[in-house]
Amino acid sequence: MPTGSVIRSQQQHKVFVASSDDSKICVVMVGLPARGKSLIAGKAMRYLGWVGIPARVFNVGSYRRHNTPQPAATFFDPHNEEGERMRRVAAEAAMSDMLKWFQSGKGVVAILDATNSTKERRAWIYEKCRQADIETLFVESICDDEDLIMTNILEVKTTSPDYKGQDPEASAQDFRTRIRNYEKAYETIDDHEKHFTYVKLINVGSTVIINQIKDYLSSRLVYYIQNLHIKPRSIWLSRHGESEFNLTGRIGGDSNISERGERYARALPSLLQKSGVPPNTKSVIWTSTLKRTIQSARHLKAETGYEKLEWKALDELDSGVCDGLTYEQIAEKYPEDFAARDEDKYNYRYRGGESYRDVVIRLEPIIMELERSENVIIVTHQAVLRCIYSYFMNVPQEKSPWMEVPLHTLIKLTPRAYGTEEQRFKADIPAVSTWRGKGTSAKHQEFPKEGEPKEEGGSKEEGGGR
Amino acid sequence: MVDSTHWQTVFLGDASCYSCTFELTSGSTAEIVANSPQFRRKSSTFVDAIHDLPEKAELAPAQLYSTESGRLFHSGRIVIITVGLPARGKTHISVALARYLRWLGVKTRIFHLGDYRRATIPFGEDMPDDYFFVNATASSVLLRQKIVRKCREDIYHFLNNEKGQIAIYDAVNPLASGRRSLAKEFAKHDIETLFIESWCDDERIIEENVRRVKISSPDYVGWNSEDAIKHYLARISSRIPQFQTMEEKDLNYIKMMNAGERLIVNNCSFGYLSNRIVFYLLNLHIKSRRTYFARAGVSVGADSYKADVSLSEQGEDYAKKMTECLLAHRELEKQALLDRGEPEPELRPLKVWTSTRRRTVETAQYLYENGYKVRQRSQMSQLKPGVCEKMSEKRIRQEYPDEVAKHELDPYHHRYPRAESYHDLAVRLEPIILELEREQNDLLIIAHESVLRVLYGYLMACNAADIPFLEFPRDEIIEIIPESYQNEAQRIHIPDLPESIVPDSPEDLKIPVPPSGMMSPIQGLGSPQSGLATPASGFRTPSGLRTPRELTQQHVEDVV
Repeated sequence: MPTGSVIRSQQQHKVFVASSDDSKICVVMVGLPARGKSLIAGKAMRYLGWVGIPARVFNVGSYRRHNTPQPAATFFDPHNEEGERMRRVAAEAAMSDMLKWFQSGKGVVAILDATNSTKERRAWIYEKCRQADIETLFVESICDDEDLIMTNILEVKTTSPDYKGQDPEASAQDFRTRIRNYEKAYETIDDHEKHFTYVKLINVGSTVIINQIKDYLSSRLVYYIQNLHIKPRSIWLSRHGESEFNLTGRIGGDSNISERGERYARALPSLLQKSGVPPNTKSVIWTSTLKRTIQSARHLKAETGYEKLEWKALDELDSGVCDGLTYEQIAEKYPEDFAARDEDKYNYRYRGGESYRDVVIRLEPIIMELERSENVIIVTHQAVLRCIYSYFMNVPQEKSPWMEVPLHTLIKLTPRAYGTEEQRFKADIPAVSTWRGKGTSAKHQEFPKEGEPKEEGGSKEEGGGR
Repeated sequence: MVDSTHWQTVFLGDASCYSCTFELTSGSTAEIVANSPQFRRKSSTFVDAIHDLPEKAELAPAQLYSTESGRLFHSGRIVIITVGLPARGKTHISVALARYLRWLGVKTRIFHLGDYRRATIPFGEDMPDDYFFVNATASSVLLRQKIVRKCREDIYHFLNNEKGQIAIYDAVNPLASGRRSLAKEFAKHDIETLFIESWCDDERIIEENVRRVKISSPDYVGWNSEDAIKHYLARISSRIPQFQTMEEKDLNYIKMMNAGERLIVNNCSFGYLSNRIVFYLLNLHIKSRRTYFARAGVSVGADSYKADVSLSEQGEDYAKKMTECLLAHRELEKQALLDRGEPEPELRPLKVWTSTRRRTVETAQYLYENGYKVRQRSQMSQLKPGVCEKMSEKRIRQEYPDEVAKHELDPYHHRYPRAESYHDLAVRLEPIILELEREQNDLLIIAHESVLRVLYGYLMACNAADIPFLEFPRDEIIEIIPESYQNEAQRIHIPDLPESIVPDSPEDLKIPVPPSGMMSPIQGLGSPQSGLATPASGFRTPSGLRTPRELTQQHVEDVV
């Protein structure tokens, strides 16, 4: 059976993702305020970070805010020389930090989040990057749908640090004046800039112009951005119901669900209903190809009539030679492996199996599909669920493999403009816990007490503005 | 070795798909085919199968999931309609897109209107001069309608009765009014339309296209290439005097300008699938470049997957000879261009991709020392062997009889415990596929046989079931030459290699696939005996097959 050879070095897998190109890219956002630039910038950063490409947003607004915390709209009038100068200083500071970040060797993609609304400013950025051997990719968001703009203003901008503690009505009014000031000087990307690599998104992607894409990573970014939408929707995550393997503490395998697991499968339709599915939206169920998820979603599919897809990519992390063993047995049979896994669980690849990093790579198409979909109910496995959850909730790599995801619990994630809102719904059906703390004994731990407070509504705020 | 006779049987059972057989398939396309001077052929793995009709529904090489309707990406039935004057790369785009979509599992078929015209107009007769004119004579209009009707009927048949999801309708479609009525017509049948225009104002790109695909026809034998290009272009503009670029905001379209320099996407109702197509088109170009496949050399001692050892002395010798052979072959190709009368022929620069495994990297060392750029790609590492690593076939059969049985049923999708299946490998290679399309230079890929099988399977549109059985003996470099209608593969023999390293690969998995030695490479890839490994003879299929290829590159395509 298993051969007792050395553990493969984990180092070599670190290059797995970032190898697609050697080039460094500066993504330069272009567009008037309230065109969703920060949303795109934030999501792109999260996506890149998740697939293992070091990315960072440089928000010029936060540099400007340092000196001018709560400026009036007149500050943004192009004829206001002082305002103009201050904004220039902020742009320079952001640029210089960005170049330093690239020089340190840590960065692959930087996202410069600002209006960058004039040709002059863009030419300056392009030239600065060119000198530092960094490719530029301009992403312009154009929107002339007044309703969309107003929605964005009300939802996002009035919570911006620029307007903290101010009357929302007055804030919105001031913000519209600020936009008008920007409009005076706004120059869209046109044929004089046709040597630039750029994407122009007009009215949330109804028209897209893509110019001079020169490398694969840029094309992938463009593809990602194109798949984003802002329709309200939710994503539900659930592990399969308790399985026969869970009962005996064994990992992996392709076992059936237990009697309690079956009870969870029956409870799932009403649990979903309780969590609230927005009316008049499209929903779809995804499972893995393993029996325990298909069985768990069986009643859900029958009762809701939603379409169901089975994804190979949603199968549980492949634990290689350890498949079918308990944690105790693993610790006994492969003590070094067991220790190595605790050391760096994200990169640890089971002998002949997968690491969390490997799982993330195979989940990438799933994330693309998720971004473009409306409501999706995903019934999958612990490790896979941790990875998907980490993408939406921005959980760092070193933490994600340790997250606790109990059985018989439905997690509802609702993307908001700046972050994702989380709610958990427990079915009142007991199950074993399969969670194991770092550095703890290999034994299964007791199921956490019912009703233990969970962190809910884990949405996070990020400063928009400029 | 247990049960080797069994392998013989398995192989013989499959042998029919390796040889080139011609047959008339049933259905409406066959009528066209029967009326035309060409034949339908069943897939031979040495011939690009992109125009073949798969006999039975099966999972595509990189399909991620399946649905009851057989349709993927939450999209309904779609007709992709090309727009553009001749020599703008429409056929190339249609074929490349079909290749990619089929790879992903979307049931796609191309309908070249030109094929229908040739099937309708008797062989040897030319089309009427006013065929494309707006004010054509009644007889020309009737002819036009007859041809288009036939093509459209076949599209409906494919989408309605054959579980097809995407039909690619390859024609010129020069007028906005014509395009609107097409969209309306298909909408009546609940079929969405997506137009892809290839637009070009860069003379150099057009001329290169004409040189490459249009003037190789018999009509221009003996012409000087510059004159032939001028003549061809003049003929196009007199025949198709009116062309309107797409500005119809009410239609879904992707306008590809100057071979991908710029893309304009007008998306009124489409979702994911068109984004996916845009992603692919962003990486596609219409320049011709070659891809070479070579195996890595043999390694020292322990043939373990985990050990990742260096090349043996024999392996070094192989690396040297392979390099010499390839470079000599490229000199010949340059000479051939010169002989064809091209002024100052320049080959595209050669780049090398290897996996990160030591043997493949070291096999590229002589090329690296000769100044060629070598890039390591971690995604290109071989099929993971799982628990069966280092086991003999006998032991695998003893320990995992159930797995062996499952493997025999479906060698493409089955994975041994903890191993990767070919399907897993194909999905993992997806980024490589896109970068392969993006690459503008000639490219040598040095990788494990399992990786070569999958990449070759993509480029030649092989059936998933055939991919695990493709053979890449070490004494041959495979060269893929892209042509707009289909890709061609040829073998370049590497001389003077010791027999011992040629057929078998000691580092190969000892999993029950027919061992390399059992079938000769000639049979393996379905090339007739006579053409064995003489690079000059090129495309190794019966000469009958060459006729349709030339026919499809006749001068003027169809409008409407």
